[in-house]
Amino acid sequence: MNNRQARIFAWGSTIAAAVLFLGLTLDSHRQFPELTNADTITPQVTHGKDVWHKYNCINCHTLFGEGAYYAPDLTKITQHRGEAYLQAYMRDPSAFYDEQTHRRLMPQQNLSEEEITDLIQFLDWVANVDNQDWPPRPILVTGGFTAVAGSGGAGQAAEVQSGSTSVGVRPVDADDDIRALGENVFRTAVPGCVACHSLTPGADGAGPSLAGVATRAELLVGEANYSGQASDIEGYLRESILEPSAHLSTGGMYSANGVSFMPDTYGNSLSEEQIEQLVAFLATLK
Amino acid sequence: MRYKSQSVAYWYFAVAMVLFGLQLVFGLLSATKYLGPDPLLYILPFDVTKVIHTNLLIVWVLTGFMGATYWLIPDESRTELHSVKLAYIQLILWTLMGVTAIIGYLFRYGTGNKLLEQPLPHKLVIVVCMLIFIYNIGMTIRKSGRFTTTEGVLLLGIVSSAVLFVPALLHYENYTVSIFYRWWTIHLWVEGVWMMIMGAFLAYLLIRLSGADREVMEKWLYVIVGLVFLAGILGTAHHYYWVGVPYYWLPIGGFFSALEPLAIVGMAMYAYGAMRRAGLSHPNVLALHWTLGSTIFTLFGAGLLGLAHTWPSINKWTHGTLITAMHGHAAFYGAYAMITLAMISYALPSLTHGRPEKGSSIGYWSFWLQLGGMFGMTISFATAGIGQVYLERIMGMGYLDAQLKIQIHFVMLIICGSIFATGVGLFIFDFFRYRPRFEVTEPEVRDNEVAVGRVV
Repeated sequence: MNNRQARIFAWGSTIAAAVLFLGLTLDSHRQFPELTNADTITPQVTHGKDVWHKYNCINCHTLFGEGAYYAPDLTKITQHRGEAYLQAYMRDPSAFYDEQTHRRLMPQQNLSEEEITDLIQFLDWVANVDNQDWPPRPILVTGGFTAVAGSGGAGQAAEVQSGSTSVGVRPVDADDDIRALGENVFRTAVPGCVACHSLTPGADGAGPSLAGVATRAELLVGEANYSGQASDIEGYLRESILEPSAHLSTGGMYSANGVSFMPDTYGNSLSEEQIEQLVAFLATLK
Repeated sequence: MRYKSQSVAYWYFAVAMVLFGLQLVFGLLSATKYLGPDPLLYILPFDVTKVIHTNLLIVWVLTGFMGATYWLIPDESRTELHSVKLAYIQLILWTLMGVTAIIGYLFRYGTGNKLLEQPLPHKLVIVVCMLIFIYNIGMTIRKSGRFTTTEGVLLLGIVSSAVLFVPALLHYENYTVSIFYRWWTIHLWVEGVWMMIMGAFLAYLLIRLSGADREVMEKWLYVIVGLVFLAGILGTAHHYYWVGVPYYWLPIGGFFSALEPLAIVGMAMYAYGAMRRAGLSHPNVLALHWTLGSTIFTLFGAGLLGLAHTWPSINKWTHGTLITAMHGHAAFYGAYAMITLAMISYALPSLTHGRPEKGSSIGYWSFWLQLGGMFGMTISFATAGIGQVYLERIMGMGYLDAQLKIQIHFVMLIICGSIFATGVGLFIFDFFRYRPRFEVTEPEVRDNEVAVGRVV
């Protein structure tokens, strides 16, 4: 190669790459509105983005996996935690985490109520952006490990389902036992039950441990201050899944302002059959 | 030093040294916060120390680039700089910008936009400094009438850096779109046009240190530039994974960023080949250490460790973990910190009084302590990151619980970081212990007795 050819190679490859890059950029702009649901960017969402920037959130957290690596990724946080939880958390993080236990703690930011509400709106917009389904498995803030490892139910060695995003879940067939099917729902539902609830006694995560939930349900429906509609274990479990706030019995860690932090979306995201299976599984947890 | 105006480089280097030292203070402070609990939670929280750490890096490396360019251009064009006064005005403006930005960050005065945290007034000062810089160099070259390929590549790198800063000045309503254009500045800087600057410094140093033939060196410089842009421009796509852009950026990012190491391998071969063919014709063996060290460490940090997590099906699991910090530290240090230190080491004997041309033993201690320390830091981030990916992303353990399990790697990080900081401390000490020299000293041609036996 002589000097002239080297020069042609340098300019040629640069120009070719730049032209292709600019072309794809134009096409990306064509697709941005749909991929990012641009029509849902309300003034609240925009203000929420400004709040995100104002408090320098990205230099500890990540969003879309981008940022610093000192605090959890928040891309899908609004799918894991309800608005009431996020509001209570933002008012005072130290009410939920202990610096001695986890060796780090988010400093209290003194956000106004409006800032909190709009920030949650922004994070909810982020959670709904089409980002090729990343993360492939929910990134949890705490807990999760013991539940996924399998501490109840079928109790068999977990197999990896090919193409599944839920490694550690035992594959099931439609004609399996209803409780085995229910455990599968428990481990694969979105938002994931296992993201917050362990099956290990005392191992509370973002939600209370479900070890012994059937026994507790039986006692609860009989109590005088029970505020729901159910009359038996199955009814109570079903009600808790569909209307988490119908009866609050687990204290301030899991609810605020009379609203449970648990998502109330399972009535839509799960089929009637899946709910039946899930109830059957949970009812085995004596 | 052949030209009196080259001495402006000394003050640029001096500012760069101070900021480099400061960067490490905030780096070490950030590292200790991984161990926690943090007694400074409400005084200097992690987000503040981290933003200062990364911003100081950008500012000191650019200061070094500017100084090195003001050193290189008179040498290449064989003339005095167009205006020494402008060069000093630029340095003062630039330093004020950097220092006030850092002070602002202490009070959370910043945009909160990753790596582009500088407030708008500061960004505008950056633009002004860049314009002064380009004008001053351009006029110098124009007046001299001598324009070498090395200068051409360097100038193109600097001008493109300024042009690519423009998207950073704009406001984007859509967060995804703002991410899209963030990388036009940051990625196309570090994996595009800064590589040209690095390539030009490398060519300059190799031609002088090894006495390699200019004709041959400049031909290969073109090939390297071609490879950098062929892979680097479309390689921007590896920053477009999982951020809400069209799907096709995934395979494009995978393919083209897998090609990026080609240019880096090319650079290392280029440096090694030059030394093999032409041998050593210059007594400054310490500068040679930094020059070859830079190409080799770039190959490791940018090439190998970048390749390790750039493929989409791997990046899906490693994205946003300490794996990125592993790659970031080694790549930035090898490519940009080390090439700047190489230029400083090359220029320093003629910029100061009484400094031995071949380098002092403190200089060599500094080199090896920095190299060992940074290698250890990289491995600490790597082991921590691998642990994080398996525990948090694959096993599904909560983020905070997984971080607790990898504490030992943070201990290792702090130990290696301290070794690295010791090396940098020695470099800074070695820099300032000889007083600056501002008169012209035509370097006498020495035989290469000193070189014998110290060639890497």
